[in-house]
Amino acid sequence: MKIMELKDITHTYQRRKVLDIAALSIDKGRIYSLIGPNGSGKTTLLSIMGLILRPTAGEIFFEGRSVDSDKGFRLTVQRSMTMVFQDPYLFCMSVAKNITYGLRTRSLPRKVRDAKVKESLDWVGLPGFEKRGARELSGGETKLVALARALALDPAIIFLDEPTANVDTRHIHQLESVITRINRERGTTVVMTTHNLSQAYRLADMVFSLFDGAFVNSAMHNLFSGQFQQTTEGICFDTGAIRIWASSDAPAANSTHVTIDPENIIVSKEPFASSARNRFEGVITQIIEQGGKVLLEIRSQETFRVLITAHSLREIGLDIGARVFLTFKASSVNIL
Amino acid sequence: MGFLLGAFRDSLHLILSLDPEIYGIVLRSLKFSLWATFLAVLIGVPCGFLAGSKSFRGKSLLITLLNTAMALPTVIVGLICYAFLSRSAPLGFLNLMFSPKAVIVGEFILSLPVITNLTVAAVQSVDQRVALTARTLGAGSIRTAWTVLMEARFALLAAIIAGYGRAVSEVGSAVMLGGNIRYYTRTMTTAIALETSKGEFGLGLALGFFLLLVVFSINILLHTLQKKGMHR
Repeated sequence: MKIMELKDITHTYQRRKVLDIAALSIDKGRIYSLIGPNGSGKTTLLSIMGLILRPTAGEIFFEGRSVDSDKGFRLTVQRSMTMVFQDPYLFCMSVAKNITYGLRTRSLPRKVRDAKVKESLDWVGLPGFEKRGARELSGGETKLVALARALALDPAIIFLDEPTANVDTRHIHQLESVITRINRERGTTVVMTTHNLSQAYRLADMVFSLFDGAFVNSAMHNLFSGQFQQTTEGICFDTGAIRIWASSDAPAANSTHVTIDPENIIVSKEPFASSARNRFEGVITQIIEQGGKVLLEIRSQETFRVLITAHSLREIGLDIGARVFLTFKASSVNIL
Repeated sequence: MGFLLGAFRDSLHLILSLDPEIYGIVLRSLKFSLWATFLAVLIGVPCGFLAGSKSFRGKSLLITLLNTAMALPTVIVGLICYAFLSRSAPLGFLNLMFSPKAVIVGEFILSLPVITNLTVAAVQSVDQRVALTARTLGAGSIRTAWTVLMEARFALLAAIIAGYGRAVSEVGSAVMLGGNIRYYTRTMTTAIALETSKGEFGLGLALGFFLLLVVFSINILLHTLQKKGMHR
């Protein structure tokens, strides 16, 4: 069931179009990840969905009804969801008062509020933090308290902007487990932005790639920046570390970014004899299983991500640290 | 030297004997300034909040005007109020001249720009994420504004105290509008200025001691609040 829909959303900032989304549907009870490089519009889109920012044009629907159908409905929708910023702000008060802030706006009785504070702090693994001052917390604890403050509201949708950015490893694990649990146990819809691709695929049911304010079909797994060069052998893209051959009928672009779909890269233990022009050698640094698929992170002169089936993984017998060969065609290179 | 010692002895006697006139003047001064500050807070804080948090045409001009008004000479305020409140003036029918209300009006006009301007600065110093966070948690515009003010509470209290300091220590408008009437509109500053000129130096000195005490306490409070604001 669709909980939120965006139609023809555009946003202009200082006369520059920073977001252009023709359509986006968010289903109830699922986890979505928005990925893309810095400045691709992830946070702008999240803020628009969280009704914090009004788009320049377009319409947002919540459970089939336009959020701007009347003023009261916008506030009702706003109160049925919440957002946690990348660098969340805790009010200059105790942790408990921070958590009850949203509950007080909903005029909940004190007993309920106190119970919610305890429950939320237990959820994020910070029991007994009620009386701590907001300024006494570490960066990771601040993020967890901000998450607890959001969870206390029992939102239908929670928007998380880079939930694990600038957080130490211990707290990353804790934050990820809370995100998964609120979705599984409470059925909360989660929309999060992240730079961490493996995290995006590990946690989310669906991953959207944003580039220059628009959705792009090619996954952002193998996003490289650099410059095109015309050589006698054809067009190649120089990242500074490697040269990637692109299709010769590709527009000799001024483009500075290319992507390679992780499903179009062949992984083999031995050099793979084929007509494909792009061949690299690397070492597997990460293996992430997700459903029936497996995402491999392979470090060569650049880091590549390759999506294979779990069956292939077992068949080839790959493991972390294994030396492998990557092969892909020039026509698999998408120019952005 | 003998004159000074004598005056000092007289003032000490007035203070220690709990002279009702002295303490009456002190309490009256504090009360007038409290009323003036209260009214200035009612108007200055909301206006300062709006000016600090919204962008509009003429904002910088408004802030320049407020800055200028902060340094408004007190006699000028007295003069302007006189022009409006004296018997034959447009607001003469209110019959406020030479009454406590006239003194309060003068002090209110003096402390209003101080409170408004310092509220603007306090609101502008608040982290921009405060209003956004309040909205993500479901706060409406009034609660969001209240939250922003609460985050600036130390700077805001400092603004109010500075406004009170301006009101309690001014003399020009209180003399012109209140007339230094004994047991009625006489305040610490008007009594010091006018009674000393009449040769009542001991009384002036005793009141001066109290005025200094008030100003000193205000500064200590301001300093403490500013320190708290910085370290929160």
